[in-house]
Amino acid sequence: MRLKRVFSAGLVCLLLLGAMSLYAQEATEEPASGVQFTEEEIAASPYLESLLRRQNETYDTSAFAKEGPYRIALASQGPTNSWAALFDEHVRWRVEELGPDVVSELLYADANGSADIQVPQVEDLLAQEPDALILVPMGRAALSAPVERAMAQGVPVILCASGVDTDNFVTEIGTNLYRSGKSLAEWLVDELGGEGNILQMNGIPGVDTAEIEAQAARTVWAANPGINVLDEQYGQWSTAEAKRVMEQWIAQFGDQIDGIWSNGAQMSMGIISAYEDAGLPIPPIAGGEYMNGFLRVADAHGVEFYAKQYPPSMSVLCVDTAIQVLRGEPVQRFIDFQDYIEETRDFSHEEIDEFFNPNWSDDVFGPVFFPEERLAELGYLVESSEG
Amino acid sequence: MDTARPAQTPFDRSIVHSSRQFMLRYGVYVSLATLLVLALIFTPDLYKAQNLTLILRQAAQLGLVAIGQTLVLLVAGLDLSVGGVIVLTNVVIAEVSNGDNARLPLALAVALGLGALVGLANGLLVTRRNVPPFVATLGVLVFITGAQVAYTRGIPSGFVPNALNVVNQSVGPLPVSFLIWAGFTALFSFLLYLMPYGRRIYAVGSNREAARLSGLRVNRVLLSVYVLCSLMAVAAGIVLSGYVGYIDRYLGRGFDLDSIAAAVVGGTAFTGGRGGLFGTVAGVLIIQILSSMSLLLGLNVQVQFILKGLVIVAAVALYTMAARRA
Repeated sequence: MRLKRVFSAGLVCLLLLGAMSLYAQEATEEPASGVQFTEEEIAASPYLESLLRRQNETYDTSAFAKEGPYRIALASQGPTNSWAALFDEHVRWRVEELGPDVVSELLYADANGSADIQVPQVEDLLAQEPDALILVPMGRAALSAPVERAMAQGVPVILCASGVDTDNFVTEIGTNLYRSGKSLAEWLVDELGGEGNILQMNGIPGVDTAEIEAQAARTVWAANPGINVLDEQYGQWSTAEAKRVMEQWIAQFGDQIDGIWSNGAQMSMGIISAYEDAGLPIPPIAGGEYMNGFLRVADAHGVEFYAKQYPPSMSVLCVDTAIQVLRGEPVQRFIDFQDYIEETRDFSHEEIDEFFNPNWSDDVFGPVFFPEERLAELGYLVESSEG
Repeated sequence: MDTARPAQTPFDRSIVHSSRQFMLRYGVYVSLATLLVLALIFTPDLYKAQNLTLILRQAAQLGLVAIGQTLVLLVAGLDLSVGGVIVLTNVVIAEVSNGDNARLPLALAVALGLGALVGLANGLLVTRRNVPPFVATLGVLVFITGAQVAYTRGIPSGFVPNALNVVNQSVGPLPVSFLIWAGFTALFSFLLYLMPYGRRIYAVGSNREAARLSGLRVNRVLLSVYVLCSLMAVAAGIVLSGYVGYIDRYLGRGFDLDSIAAAVVGGTAFTGGRGGLFGTVAGVLIIQILSSMSLLLGLNVQVQFILKGLVIVAAVALYTMAARRA
C-alpha cells in the first residue's frame, strides 16, 4: 500500500515535470523579437527566404539513431580570436558535463580560420568514422562538397555559426542576421521618434554576414521617411578604422548626427572613442554586442545603445543538437539560438548591469555558461589585484 | 616615301631627358599639389582646420610604418610583417601594463625588444638563408600571429594605459602623433642623407654585389634595416594603441600593403637604390587626402578601392617609364 502511494506520488511529479518542460519549450520556441518581415523583403533576400523556410522544416533523424556513447567530431575555426576560443571551450565544457556515457570521444580539428585547411581536415575526421560532425564552415562554397560526402557516408552534419551552399545537411545553428540588422535599425528609429539624421557603418564590404545586416537596415530607413541617412561607409570591423571614419563624419556633419547604426561592437568602440576625443555628446548607437569591452566603455560613457548577439556559447546548442540527432529525435532545419537560450536575446543600455562583468577581459563575448574558475584557468579574467 | 619621324636634336633629347628626370624626382610633389588643388574645387571642406588636423593625425600612423618600409625597399627588400608587429605591440602594451601608467615604460621596452627580435628574424632569414624577403617576412608574420594567439589563448587581456592618450592631444594646431612622425622623419632623413650609413643603404640597394666588392658589410646593413623597419612598426603600434585606446585585433590590418603603396607612390623603387623619405611623406599624404576626399564626397567603398588602386598603378607605371628612359 505504501509502495503504491510512493509510486503514485512519483508518477504525479514526473507528469508535472513533463508538463513544465513542455511549457518551457513552447515558451522559448516563440520568436525572440517582434520583428516582422514583409513579402517583398523575403522575395528580395534569398538568405531570409531560405532561413525562414528551413525554420519551418523538420529533419527526420531516425536514420542516424543509435545507442550511445557517441564519438562526435568538431571541425572548428580554431582559437584564432577570442570568439573562436570561447566557442571551443564551451564545446569541451558541454562534453565534460554530459560525461563519457553520452560522449565517449570528441575528435577535434583546428582550421586556423582557413577553408583551405578545413577541407582536408573534414576528410581526415570522416576517416575516423565519427557518429556526427559539428562543422563551423570557413567557406560556404569550399565546404559544400565535404558536407555532402559526410552525409553520403551516413555521418549527420550539424552546421554551427555559419552555412554552406548545399542544402544536404541535417541542421544549422545560428541566428537570423537579417532580423538582427533590422531590429537594431528599428530600435534607432524608435529612439529618435521616427525622425533624425543617421549614419550607417557597415562591416567588411562583400562579406555576406555584413551585407545581409546592412541590407536589412536599409529597408527600415526606406520605410521611415523621417529618417535621413547622411552617409554609409565601411568600418572593416576594426576599432581603428571605425574611429577614422567617425572622426571624418564628426568633422563633416558635427551636431547634425542624431544616431548611428553600426555593424559590430568593435566598431562601436571606435565611434565612442571619436566622440570622446571630439568632446561631443554621444548619440544613440544601434550596434552593440555582448562583448565585455564594449559594455565597459558604453557603461563608462553612459552611451544609449542597442545590442545584438552572436555568442560563441551557441556551440553548447550545437553539441546538444548533435546528441538529439543521434537519438533519432526530429530537429528543425534551422535553429535560432535566440529561441532556445534566453541570455542570447537583444538588449539595450537599460539592461547593462545584467550583462557587463567587471571581472572579464575586454575581449570576452558572453554569455559564458561554464564556471568563472574555468575562465580564470584560461586567463580570461582581468587581474583581480588591479580591481 | 620617307615616313620616319624627324630625328631629335640634342636639344630636344636634353629637354626630354630633363623632363623625365624632373618626373622621377618631383612627380610625387606635383601630384600632391594637383590633388590639393582638386580638393579646393571638389571638397573645399577639406581645408577646414578640423579636417586638416584629422588628416595629419591619421597620416602619422601610416607615415611611421612607411618610414621603415621605405628603408627596406631602398635595399630592394619588402616587409609584410609590419601589420603583425603593430597588433603584437598593442597586445603587449595591454598585457604587460594592464592599464597601469607606471608599468607603461616596461610594456614599451618589452614591445620594442620583441619588435627588434622580429626584425632580426626577418633580416637573418634574408641574409643568412637567402630567403626572398616576400616569403621571409610573410613567414614571420604568420609565426608572430600564431605565437601571439597561443600566448593569449585567443583572448588578450588587460587595458591600454590612459597615459598613451597623449598621442590624441595637439600642440597648438599640430597633433602630437604628427609631431612624432615629423621627428622620426627628420631623424631618419639625417641618417639617410647626411650620414655614411645612408650612403651604404643606397649602395647596397643599387648593386649589392658591387657594394660587397667595395668592402661594405652588406649583411650588416640589411640586418639593421629590417630591425629598424620592425622598430618603426612598434612605434606605429604605440601611437595606434593610444589612438584606439583598446585592444583591437584588426589594428594592423592594411598597414603592410598601404605602407608599401605610400613608399612606391612616393617614388621609391621596388628594385632598390632609388627613392627617399620625403617622397614617402608625400605618398602618405596623397593616400590620406584621397581617403578623406572620398569620405567627404560620400563615395561608396568600391569607388574608393578603385581610386586607390588606380593611383598606385599609375604612379608605378609613370616611374617605371621615366626610369627606363631617363
